[in-house]
Amino acid sequence: MLSQAVVKRLKEIVGERNVVTDKVGLLTYGYDGTLLSGEALGVVSPTTTEQVVEIVKLMNEQDIKLVPRGAGTNESGGTIPSAKSVVISFTKMTKIHEIDTENFVAVVEPGVINFDLQVELAKKNFYFPPDPSSFKASTIGGNLGECSGGPKCFKYGVTRDYMLGLEVVLPNGKVIQTGGRNFQSEPGYDLTRIIVGSEGILGLVTKVFVRILPIPRAKKTMLALYDKVEDASQTVADIVAAGIIPTTLELMDNLLINTTEDFTHAGLPRDAGAVLIIEVDGYPEDMDGQVKTIGEIASKIAKEFKVAQTAVEVDQIWTSRRSAFGSVARVRPSYGVNDITVPRSNFPKAIGGVLKVAKDFGVTIGVVAHAGDGNLHPLILFDQRNKEETETVHAAEQALCMMALDLEGTISGEHGIGLVKKKYLDKEFTPAAMEAFRKIKRSFDPSNRFNPGKIIDL
Amino acid sequence: MSDVNISKLKGIVGDAYVIDFPSEMAKYLKGQGKPAVVVLPASTSEVSSIVKLANEKNVKLGVGGAVVDTQGITGGIAMVMSRMNRILEMDHLNLVAVVEPGLLHKEFLLKVGEAGLNFPPEPYVIETSSIGGCFAIGDSDSKSFEYGPTRTFLLGFEMVLPTGEILEIGNKCIKNVSGLDFIHFAVGSQGTFGIFTKLLVKLLPVPEAKKAVIGTFASMHKANATFNTLIKRNVHPTRMNLINASLAKIAKPGTEGQLVIIDLQGFKESGKNIVNEVASVLTLGGGSDVKIIEEGAEYDQVINGWLKARAELNAKPSEIVEFVVGPMKMPQALSQLEAQTGELGAYPGIIVEGLLGYVCLALPEGTDKLALARKVNKLAMSLGGNVKGLLGHKLKAEVYNDAEMWKQTTSLLSELRQQFDPKGILNPGVSLEA
Repeated sequence: MLSQAVVKRLKEIVGERNVVTDKVGLLTYGYDGTLLSGEALGVVSPTTTEQVVEIVKLMNEQDIKLVPRGAGTNESGGTIPSAKSVVISFTKMTKIHEIDTENFVAVVEPGVINFDLQVELAKKNFYFPPDPSSFKASTIGGNLGECSGGPKCFKYGVTRDYMLGLEVVLPNGKVIQTGGRNFQSEPGYDLTRIIVGSEGILGLVTKVFVRILPIPRAKKTMLALYDKVEDASQTVADIVAAGIIPTTLELMDNLLINTTEDFTHAGLPRDAGAVLIIEVDGYPEDMDGQVKTIGEIASKIAKEFKVAQTAVEVDQIWTSRRSAFGSVARVRPSYGVNDITVPRSNFPKAIGGVLKVAKDFGVTIGVVAHAGDGNLHPLILFDQRNKEETETVHAAEQALCMMALDLEGTISGEHGIGLVKKKYLDKEFTPAAMEAFRKIKRSFDPSNRFNPGKIIDL
Repeated sequence: MSDVNISKLKGIVGDAYVIDFPSEMAKYLKGQGKPAVVVLPASTSEVSSIVKLANEKNVKLGVGGAVVDTQGITGGIAMVMSRMNRILEMDHLNLVAVVEPGLLHKEFLLKVGEAGLNFPPEPYVIETSSIGGCFAIGDSDSKSFEYGPTRTFLLGFEMVLPTGEILEIGNKCIKNVSGLDFIHFAVGSQGTFGIFTKLLVKLLPVPEAKKAVIGTFASMHKANATFNTLIKRNVHPTRMNLINASLAKIAKPGTEGQLVIIDLQGFKESGKNIVNEVASVLTLGGGSDVKIIEEGAEYDQVINGWLKARAELNAKPSEIVEFVVGPMKMPQALSQLEAQTGELGAYPGIIVEGLLGYVCLALPEGTDKLALARKVNKLAMSLGGNVKGLLGHKLKAEVYNDAEMWKQTTSLLSELRQQFDPKGILNPGVSLEA
């Protein structure tokens, strides 16, 4: 419980309506995209950097931890309240300060929803490349915190590649600026890069300078259907070997084809073993050549290859992909999303590994993957109310992580570590690397005030 | 007297690779400092042993690829990485390479090219830059609009920390957000967090076609105006660079006037059209001798000319001022700059990287660098930019009248450095104070 005096101070800082302390209200901030939960002492929603500074100072005085939160859609447990903490919600810092298309930069507050930014940018024929599946709900601050990916990473990279500068409130309540409006403004060390993906354990971001790009003049979306998942991964390897860098190489297995079909009726054949969504972008005159090459490559193995002819067809394809996670709820009430990534050459082995885990643990796993990146999202379907089954699922998730590491991969391609994967982190990193993380955390936050317990323990 | 234990160093790397005759040391050194010894390790474990030795005796240690900056290491050790110059792996399936840091950047480009692949970062100084240095400096360059800055191309590394401990991090996944991002944080840390001993580098397929368009202009302003036209037309070449007249002669002997170099890497079909579009824009914008270059050897010559001009300025970091503005703000920036400096064409060296909004200004002898940087920063800030890097931050804080922010930033930087290098032995010449 927060003392009446602290609640009063918080309300003075952010206004009556921006402080939540009632049980029901707190409950809603106790969850994220994972199965974990926690309970905060309070939730406070600042609207300005100055308010954030005041909150940080007050919490420091009171020895209360702060847990930053955007939309809470993350899959890592990164926003789960820790013990004796107040959640600082950035969902009311939603201003788009500036969109400067001539100079390829936008300045936004952290609570701006990715989709809302995309809508504003699209009016000017621009876009912000990182667009995780959650982009209709997730915030730029949250994307930054987890260093989100999305379906375009093969060509365009992840969130870190589009962050030019930040305004950051440090754990001591001081404000610094990292980077600027271009690539060349980091102060000696690349502070922007270390803050991106740090899940709020180093500082609270209150302003974001993002790189924006013109929407490519042309785009082609293709679909290839396969009998087996392994066949699709061969196409991926062949496309890369041909020197083509598609924006997207998305894969769904038979289970996901069927669950998304139930929902979208996009017309994918339910007996297909896998579908590969391939997209290329660039100048219009280059499209035909690339589509032809990809078609020839895919048709060697695929049972069907087609090029979307209309915008409606493109939309239909993407609706299937974007609804993949949600669609499995028809099969079982709960699902656990994994985010393992392996070097592209090990992708077929990783698919084999997923099948083996499913068999070994007797669980149902569907696979969605950013195949070009070697990034797999095995979805384990289960019922959270069944304790025994839930235990099995956790064991299976651990097996998936270990499998990825055995294949020289990583336990997180784009979702982050948070609480969920923290326990496996020392399996991926050597003691020296783990200590490097702690050195960085200690430099920013020696008293462990911001989002304690996420990623690493001090 | 120096505390460097020469015989122990010889025990680590062998007699032949410990050099302590000043006349023989000279070719490995630059700057005013006088290290006691040059040592050339051949392996990670040798690097680690040398660093441990330095740590025990509290001896300063400077590191370089082919040449070591001696600032701050008088009486200390200059470590040259040039013997660690192997490509350990070239992995076509995953488009990555594993490289030792002492390999010359230009050699690496050759090898990568032979393998049919592409490593976009430009060498900083053509003849001496190493791959280790490339990531230790971790800059952006005139291709960064298309390919991203240098850090984009590092997926992992092996590093000897200032305590001698060996740290390995990263993997061949092009997407990896596990842990804190020490991989990219280390890029640009100038060897203060540790010494790279292996680099896991991301590569790309070679572009299907490469073409260039060059042209000369009577004024910087006219040349630069064509860049705005191209951006407005939604043409974003790989490079869109401008070199002033005095420096243009280095890039392309015989050039009269300001030289524009447009580099177009991409696909054959679009390349054909864009190259014509660019050439027309340059011609209409007042360019003379506008030429489309399609033949490979000539293309390479043009690009090498650019790199030469760039290296000329990179080689003298204390004699340049670098700033960035929004790319479309460049015409105003150049006009306002000219009001400060006088006619731009006559300046000893100016380059403009049009897509990045970047300007590098070589200073005439006797210029008060800080005073000019201060003026330039104000100008740049009014156009959505600032002076580059650490100096820029200091000047920005001055403009904001926010001494607190500058203090916070530098204390954070020095705390980070101290965490990694408690005794302050590694590359002490690198200043984080500006």
